[in-house]
Amino acid sequence: MSRRFRFGPRAKDIDADVRREIEAHLEQRAKEFEREGMSLEQARNAALTAFGDREEIEAKVRALRDTTVRQQRRRLWFDDIRLDTRMALRSLLKSPTFTVVALLTLGLGIGANTAVFSVLRSVILRPLPYPDSDRLVQIWTDHRARGRAEPEWLTPPQYEAYVSQNRTFEFVAGYQGWGPNLTGEGNPEAIAGGAVSADFLNVLGVPPALGRGFLPSDDDPNAEQVVILSDALWKRRFNADPKILEAGIQLNGEIWTVIGVMPESFHPPQQWEILRTLRLPSPNPCGHGCIVMQAIGRLQPGVTVAQAQVDLQAITERMTAEAPQEYEGVGSWLVPLHDQVTGPVRPALFALFGAVLFVMLLACVNLASLMLVRAGSRGREFGLRAALGAGRGRIVRQLLTESLVLAVMGGLVGLMMGWIGTRVLARMIPSGIQSVQQIRPDGIVVAFTVGLALLAGVVFGIVPALQTARADLMGVLRTAHAQGSRRLGVLRRGLVAAELAIALVLLVGAGLLLRTFLSLQQTDLGFRTDGIVTAGIFFTPARYQVIERVDGALDDLLQGLRAHPSVSAVEVADIPPLAPGGDQDMTLLADGLLPPDGQRPSGIWFRRVSHGYLSLLGVQLLEGRLFGPEDRMGTERVAVITRETARRLWPTQDAVGRFATTSTDPEATRVRIIGVIGDLRHDGPMVPIKPQVFLSLEQFRTRGATLLLTPENDRGAAIGALRSTLNEIDADMPLVGITSLDERYAAATQLPRYFATILSAFAAAALLLSVIGVYGMMAYSVSQRRQEIGVRLALGARPEGVLTLIMGEGARLALLGLGAGIVLAALSTRLLQANLYGVGKFDVPTFAVVSLILVASALLACWIPARRAGAVDPVIALREE
Amino acid sequence: MAGSDLFTGSLDILILKSLNWGPLHGYAIGKWIRQWTTEVLPVQEGALYPALHRMERKGLLEEEWGVTETNREAKFYRLTREGRKQLKTDVIRWKTYAQVMSRALAAAQP
Repeated sequence: MSRRFRFGPRAKDIDADVRREIEAHLEQRAKEFEREGMSLEQARNAALTAFGDREEIEAKVRALRDTTVRQQRRRLWFDDIRLDTRMALRSLLKSPTFTVVALLTLGLGIGANTAVFSVLRSVILRPLPYPDSDRLVQIWTDHRARGRAEPEWLTPPQYEAYVSQNRTFEFVAGYQGWGPNLTGEGNPEAIAGGAVSADFLNVLGVPPALGRGFLPSDDDPNAEQVVILSDALWKRRFNADPKILEAGIQLNGEIWTVIGVMPESFHPPQQWEILRTLRLPSPNPCGHGCIVMQAIGRLQPGVTVAQAQVDLQAITERMTAEAPQEYEGVGSWLVPLHDQVTGPVRPALFALFGAVLFVMLLACVNLASLMLVRAGSRGREFGLRAALGAGRGRIVRQLLTESLVLAVMGGLVGLMMGWIGTRVLARMIPSGIQSVQQIRPDGIVVAFTVGLALLAGVVFGIVPALQTARADLMGVLRTAHAQGSRRLGVLRRGLVAAELAIALVLLVGAGLLLRTFLSLQQTDLGFRTDGIVTAGIFFTPARYQVIERVDGALDDLLQGLRAHPSVSAVEVADIPPLAPGGDQDMTLLADGLLPPDGQRPSGIWFRRVSHGYLSLLGVQLLEGRLFGPEDRMGTERVAVITRETARRLWPTQDAVGRFATTSTDPEATRVRIIGVIGDLRHDGPMVPIKPQVFLSLEQFRTRGATLLLTPENDRGAAIGALRSTLNEIDADMPLVGITSLDERYAAATQLPRYFATILSAFAAAALLLSVIGVYGMMAYSVSQRRQEIGVRLALGARPEGVLTLIMGEGARLALLGLGAGIVLAALSTRLLQANLYGVGKFDVPTFAVVSLILVASALLACWIPARRAGAVDPVIALREE
Repeated sequence: MAGSDLFTGSLDILILKSLNWGPLHGYAIGKWIRQWTTEVLPVQEGALYPALHRMERKGLLEEEWGVTETNREAKFYRLTREGRKQLKTDVIRWKTYAQVMSRALAAAQP
């Protein structure tokens, strides 16, 4: 090994040094004794005796000297670093354009990575905010064998069997949604809440901060009505007054006792603000037929999800004996709670992270390429320094220091960009997920950024540094065209082709997502959304004890609104279109046509609507008629079905005029089909078409309803009219979630829209970076070949020929990058699969258009240097030699 | 330590003092100490060198190879700024110490 790379003092040198020093002493001392009259030999001996044990002293001095030298080296090394850093800063300041471009490139790459990683870490990588949250699972029912792709809720007996018979769970808790109307002091407010079994908080493992949790006795239908409040609700509505405990609050017109308040840090997966107990009646009147429960569980320590799955599956299978029609082919379906909560954004975030790593790679390649050019143009500087005695190691170190200094500065820029980027990106994550997994940068994110910056510094610094070191420095000093620069050229060409390939991957990804978004926009929902305002109301049982009273109040409300000058039309549905989560289905049989043995009839999704609802939404009437005033309480019960429902129930016959029933029971409700309408995508463009049936709200009552209202011209005035009319009828009734169908549509397509936008931004950045890379390389290459071009021109080549030559070179490079990019893209679009709708992962038009964009951009980047090459004046170019 | 018969620390302060007027090589330092202590303090001459190198490690001295007045090669030692400061405080400390000690030992009463 050569001396340069040895660390620590050289033992032999120290030894000689010490010996020399001692010897000099002894010689002089002997001389002194000689002057005193001793013989040469006597003097030497006297000197040695006076000195003491020479060996021992030498050993001691050697040891001391050794540590001293080490210390000095270390100090020197730090001095060198300080010097290198100062030199690097000075040299970066001397070429401000290079520095700014490099910092922006790096800052962009690091910033984008920090932002995506920060969101990924907050949402996906961080465990849910509950103790031992990896043991929490969501318990679903599996109806896939019966043709339902989505996981289903549970029946009350199924939930009770899971609680009492499981052997793998510490706790299982059931729950249902609950949206009580809070009245009393302040405005009436609909609170998002849950009716939960007593073990719910045990499952999550978080006790109340104030008061007590639920006891099994609270779950009795006859027990006192008790609730637990969220910290936010307690602060918002009750001024954080601890005296609220054991005091009554008014919900839905009844008095409930507050027994506890949850800690501020507690955010249940369902974003509830108030909890009550389930209080299921026993025996449950709604038996195996009602799919109305949801459940979560906490696994026993050491139990896997698969084991619990087997356990619950066995329980479900035992239930088949009890009620074969309900449970035949039904299984259990466990999803880790973390996946359940973060599932919707997981694929998008991982795909974005992949994309952003590519951008980082691109930034590094571009910087390496920039550094190579810089190193090339500084050949003389380094040659001179080598001639003045700088070792190669020293020059390599200086180059590395320069790139590290650049990386650290870029890291700072990146951290700032990342901070902004995180906020932008967070908008992609639905607020429901954010309320559980709050997005905030933490130490790990900062460590990630710092690590990335340093890694980038080494990655883009090492190649040019080693290249420069390998090049014959003295040769560089003598001529500008050393062998090294040719090798450098090949390397740079490879880097630029790689850049183009990476840019293509991102362009393909962005293209596919944009196509997805476009195809979502082009998807016909089957109804109009424009200008329709929606607002929810609820008629509480406390005030409207008999449901007939709802009719009167609803009638008054509708009539009052229709008479109002600022309202053009108003209709009602129990569930509005584009409602996030929550749909309802029922069994519907074609009268007289029984389903084949043992096969459960497929559920039909139903909505109860006012008479004008379907015409307000502008649905397409295919056959028969829509609802009219004649379809009210007391007249024959009627239904309007969609084409898909008609196809399922009467595959070969006309549906209009036929009867359908909710079961084979002769007492069951029968409805006559009066019309067939076109299929609707009530849940938005991404959800497949479902079979639907519409019933008349006047014949099938509901307490909860959503008003759909078209303003005469001003939306604000219409909402004002809504408030004032409602206030006249029932001052305690809250309006829930005033929004519009357009806003609901935007929310339903929010994720694909943001995802497409963000990936497009990354792809644009990638394209820009690679185009800069191509331009930089071609411009450098042309400037290096001025003399060659000059000779060609002098020998009669035409400027167009030179232009073609350079463009040809660029085109070869672009095609190389394109080929590699297509292969790479084909391999990596799998990452995006889960986010694509209505477009394949190998979508040929996308690949074609994107390839065209890439090649065109690359050629454009070559055009300017190529023209400059064509314009070379041979006389001037040759004189430069 | 060799030369432990010397009062602890006295060798170090003597070395510092000997370098007060400029760089000296090891032999010259030893000779200066012998002269000024009139050989009363029995220093084993070799003990000087570990002391010199220990002080160098502490940053009190700096070394450099040079040529003596008799044209011989020798290692010269020089006070650093640290060393000069150390000398100043040590001298004050020693003077106080010596005064106190001699007054106490000259005591005429129990």
